[in-house]
Amino acid sequence: MKNIRNFSVVAHIDHGKSTLSDRMIQLCGLVADRDFQDQLLDSMDIERERGITIKSQTVCLPYTAQDGQEYELNLVDTPGHVDFSYEVSRALSSCEGALLLVDAAQGIEAQTLANLYLAMENDLEIVPVINKIDLPAAEPEQVALEIEEDLGLDSEITQQCSAKTGEGVADILEAIVEYLPPPEGDPDLPLEALIFDANYDPYRGTVISVRIMNGTIKPGEQIIFMHNKVEYRVEEVGQFLLPKTKKKSLSAGQIGYIIAGVKTVSDTKPGDTITHKENPCATPLPGFKEVQQVVFSSIYPITSDDYEDLTSALEKLKLNDASLTYQKDSSAALGFGFRCGFLGLLHLEVVQERLEREFDISLILTVPSVKYLVSLQDGKEVVVDNPTYFPDPGTIDYIKEPFIKATILIPERYMGAVMSLCMERRGENTHYHYPMPGRIEFTCELPLAEVIYDFYDKLKSVTQGYGSFDYALIDYRQSDLVKLDILVNSEPVDALSQLTHRQRARERGMKACESLKEEIPRQMFKIDIQAASGGSIFSRTNISALRKDVTAKCYGGDISRKRKLLEKQKAGKKRMKTVGNVEIPQQAFLSVLKSDQ
Amino acid sequence: MSVRSCVPSLADSATNTLPSGLGLYIHVPFCLQKCLYCSFYSVTNQPDLYNRYAAAVKEQILRFAERSDIQAQQVHTIFFGGGTPSILGSDLLTRLLKNCFLNFDCAPGLETSLEVNPATVDQAALHELRRAGFNRISIGVQSFDDRELEVLGRVHSAADGIRTVQMARRAGFSNINLDLMYGLPDQDKHKWQESLQQALSLQPEHLSLYELTMEGNTPFAQRYDRGELRLPEEEVVLAMVATTEEMVTAAGLHRYEISNYARPDRKCSHNINYWHNASWLGLGPGAVSSLNGCKIKTISDVECFCQPGANKEERETLDNEAAFRETVVMGLRMIGGIGLEELEKRFAINAISYYGTTLDRLIAHNLVTIEEGRLRLTGQGLLLANTVMAELV
Repeated sequence: MKNIRNFSVVAHIDHGKSTLSDRMIQLCGLVADRDFQDQLLDSMDIERERGITIKSQTVCLPYTAQDGQEYELNLVDTPGHVDFSYEVSRALSSCEGALLLVDAAQGIEAQTLANLYLAMENDLEIVPVINKIDLPAAEPEQVALEIEEDLGLDSEITQQCSAKTGEGVADILEAIVEYLPPPEGDPDLPLEALIFDANYDPYRGTVISVRIMNGTIKPGEQIIFMHNKVEYRVEEVGQFLLPKTKKKSLSAGQIGYIIAGVKTVSDTKPGDTITHKENPCATPLPGFKEVQQVVFSSIYPITSDDYEDLTSALEKLKLNDASLTYQKDSSAALGFGFRCGFLGLLHLEVVQERLEREFDISLILTVPSVKYLVSLQDGKEVVVDNPTYFPDPGTIDYIKEPFIKATILIPERYMGAVMSLCMERRGENTHYHYPMPGRIEFTCELPLAEVIYDFYDKLKSVTQGYGSFDYALIDYRQSDLVKLDILVNSEPVDALSQLTHRQRARERGMKACESLKEEIPRQMFKIDIQAASGGSIFSRTNISALRKDVTAKCYGGDISRKRKLLEKQKAGKKRMKTVGNVEIPQQAFLSVLKSDQ
Repeated sequence: MSVRSCVPSLADSATNTLPSGLGLYIHVPFCLQKCLYCSFYSVTNQPDLYNRYAAAVKEQILRFAERSDIQAQQVHTIFFGGGTPSILGSDLLTRLLKNCFLNFDCAPGLETSLEVNPATVDQAALHELRRAGFNRISIGVQSFDDRELEVLGRVHSAADGIRTVQMARRAGFSNINLDLMYGLPDQDKHKWQESLQQALSLQPEHLSLYELTMEGNTPFAQRYDRGELRLPEEEVVLAMVATTEEMVTAAGLHRYEISNYARPDRKCSHNINYWHNASWLGLGPGAVSSLNGCKIKTISDVECFCQPGANKEERETLDNEAAFRETVVMGLRMIGGIGLEELEKRFAINAISYYGTTLDRLIAHNLVTIEEGRLRLTGQGLLLANTVMAELV
C-alpha cells in the first residue's frame, strides 16, 4: 500500500488539466507515442472540441521513481465544469492528494478556489503546479506568490511545468511520490468500496469505478450497494491501465473497476458504498447525495418519424449518463417528445449534441426551465418545471423559485460591470472581499432561472474573459412569476412559453420577439410574432414575406454545383419544425431566452 | 487523359428515349481582365498559352470523336463560351471550329454560337468568324451605363457595346444575343430601364438578363460583406423584374427561361439542351460533359489541361432517382416547364406520385402548376424558384 498514490488534478477550466494528464500517461509509457492523440482521457468528440472533460476517466500509471521503487499512481480525472461539482467531490474523496493546477498567465480563478476548497474538505494533500510556463505572458513568480500568500499553500513544493512541451512533468511525478501520502486502510476489515464513477460498456454492462477504503474484493463474491439496496455477483475486478486490465483482487487503498452484471449506470450512484453481502461494513461511507436535476427542457424530434429513434437514443444515452432524467411529454405545437432533467445548461447542451451526433437525430429543445414550487389556494403544493403545466393564475396562492449563491472572482476593475449584471438578474444580498490584492471575490444570491441561460457568457463578456464563476443551490424563495406566451401567426406555441418575473415579462417578451424575428427565416407569407401574458399582448413584430429567391444563371457546367446548393437548402429545411404552417428553426426555440446580443 | 465510356446502369437505360443529338461546348478560359463579380474559371495575361490550349482541345476533340457512342450521335449545337473566347482571335477560333466540323457528325445548319466581349473583336474578325461558320453571337455587354461598367470591372464602354452589335450585324449575324445585368450597385429602376431600352433599340434576337449574384470569393462578394457595396432593395429589384417583362414583351421577345428572352425562332437550342439535362460534350478546362447520365468535369487548371497525358477528370454519376430530380429542377427553369410523360418515359418515375404531398403543397401555394401534362413554375414560382426547387431536388 505504501507504493500507491491516489490523486486528482484540480484546476479552473482551460488551465491545462487534460494536457497534463496526457503528458503523464505518455511519460509512464502507458501508450506508444504513435497511438497518442491529444486529450486521451476525453474520449468524446465534444470533449476534445470544447476542451472540457464531461465524462471523467481514471487511469492507473505504473511509475518507477528515482528511488528505484515501483509505484502505482492512480490519476482520478474529474469533470471541469460547475454543473458537475458533486461528481468532482466524489472523485476527490477517493484520493489522498491533488495537484492544484494554475495557469501561469491567468493566475488563480474562481474554479481554482472552488476546487481547492473541495479538495480541502476532503482532507487532500495539495501540490500546487504552475502550468503553461512556456507562454510569453507567463508570470510564474507572481502566480507562485499568489499561491503562497493568498492560498496559504507551501511554495517549497510548488512545481512548474509546461504540459504542452513536457517541461517539468517528470518532476511532478516525483513530487507525487514524495509529497502525497499513501492510502490507509485495512485489507482484512469488512469491505468498503466507494463508487465515484460508472461507465457503460455495451458488452459487459456497467463498469464501476471504485476506491477500496477497507477490505478486499474478488470475482465471485456477492456484493450489495448500500444506498441502492441491490445485490450483485462480482464478475471481474481490475485496474485502469490502458487498456483496462483484469486482476485477481482489489484491496484497501487501491483504485480500480468492478464489473458485476449491472445493467444500467443509473443503478450505480456516485457516492454509494459497495460492501460484501456476508460480513458487511456497519455503515455506508459518508457524503452520499442523490444528484439533483436543476434545468428542465423538452426534447422533440423535428420529424415525428424520428420519435422511435429518439426513444431508443435516450435509453442508450441514459445507460451512460446517470444524471439525465426523462419522461414522456407532449406539446400541442411539437407533438410527442420527452421532458428531460439536466444538471445544468452545459449538461443540456452535451446531451443535445450527443443525441444529434451519435444518434443522428435532429431535435428541438424547448426553453429551459427550473423547478418552481407553486402553492395553491386550496393548500396543495405542485412542482412545475414546464410552463405548459403552469396552473391557472387565479388558483395560485404564491410561488417559490430556486436561488443559488454565485461566487464570482474578478479583477477589481470589473466590479461595477459585474454588480450591475447581477442586479439586472435580480441578484440579492451581495458581498465581496479581497482574497488577494487586486482581485475581488464577489458573492451574490440569484434566482437560478436568471443564470441558466446565458449568465456565464454574459459574465465573460462584461469582464473581457477575466471573470470566473461557480455556484451552488441554496434555497427556494417566494417570487412573483407570470407565464409569458409567444404567438406565431396568432397561434400560441406552447414550446416557446416561459415563466418569468412579472417585472421582467415585458422586456423578456420584446426580446423574445426580436430573437425570433432574427432566427426565423422569411417564408412565403408574412409571419406575425407576438408576446403575451395573461391574455394581453404587449409586444409584437413581423417577418415580411419572402418575395424573391432565384438563381439567375444555370448552364451545363453549373448543374452539379447548383443541385448541391439546392440539396443544402433542402437539408436546412429539414432541420426546421413546422408549427401551424410556419417553419421554425431549431435554434429559435432556445433563442427566446437570450438577452440582448 | 482517359475518357472511358460510362456504362449505363439498368435504370439509366430509360435515358435512351431522349431525342439523340449532342451539344458541344468549348470553354475558353482566358480573359483580358477578371470582372469583379465573376466566379467562372479563367486566367488573364497568358497569350503564350493560346496555341497550347488549342492543341489540347484538339486532342480532346479527337479522343471523343473516336468513341463509337459519340459517333452514333449527331452534334446539334456548338457553343464557344468563356472566359472571353473572342480573345483567342479569329484564326484560332476558326481552326477550332473547323476541327469540330471535321471530326463530328454535325447536323446541317446547326446553331453555332460564340461569346464575344465588346472591344475584343473588330469588323474584320467578325466577318471572318461569320464566314468560318459561326451563326450566332452572344455579346457580353452587361450594361449600357459607363459608371456601372466601371463598377463591374469591365474593360469596355457602353459605346463599345453598341459598336460591337452594329459590327456583328454588318458581318452578317442575324442571331445576336446580348447579356445584361440588373440589380447592380446603386442601380435604380430607371437606370435599368435605360440600359434595357438601349439594348432593345439594337433589335437583338435574344437577350440574357441576369440579376447580379454575389458569388463567394469574388472581389465583389468581399466588398459586399464589408458593406462597401449598396445593392438595390428587394422592392426595387422586383420592380426591375416587372418592368423587364413588359418592355421585352413589347419588343416582341418572349421569356422562355428564368433569365432568357428570345424571338420565337431564336431560342438558344444549345442551352435548352442543358435545361433538358440531356447529353453534351464539354471541352476545355473546367468544362463539364454529360453522357449517359454521367457528368465528367475536366480539370479547372489551364496549365494542367495543356499538359499531355495528365489525369484531368472528375466524374459523378447520379442514381436514377437523383438524376430524375436533377432533371425536374433543371427543366423547371424553362417557362414551359417539363413534359411529365416524357419525364416518365425517360426515368420510369411518375412525378406526381413520386412527389406526392410535396407537389400538392406547392400547387396549393400557387408556386407550380400542371397544365396539359406539363409541370411548370407560376409567375410567383419563378420569383421563388430556389424555394420550390429545394423541395423537389
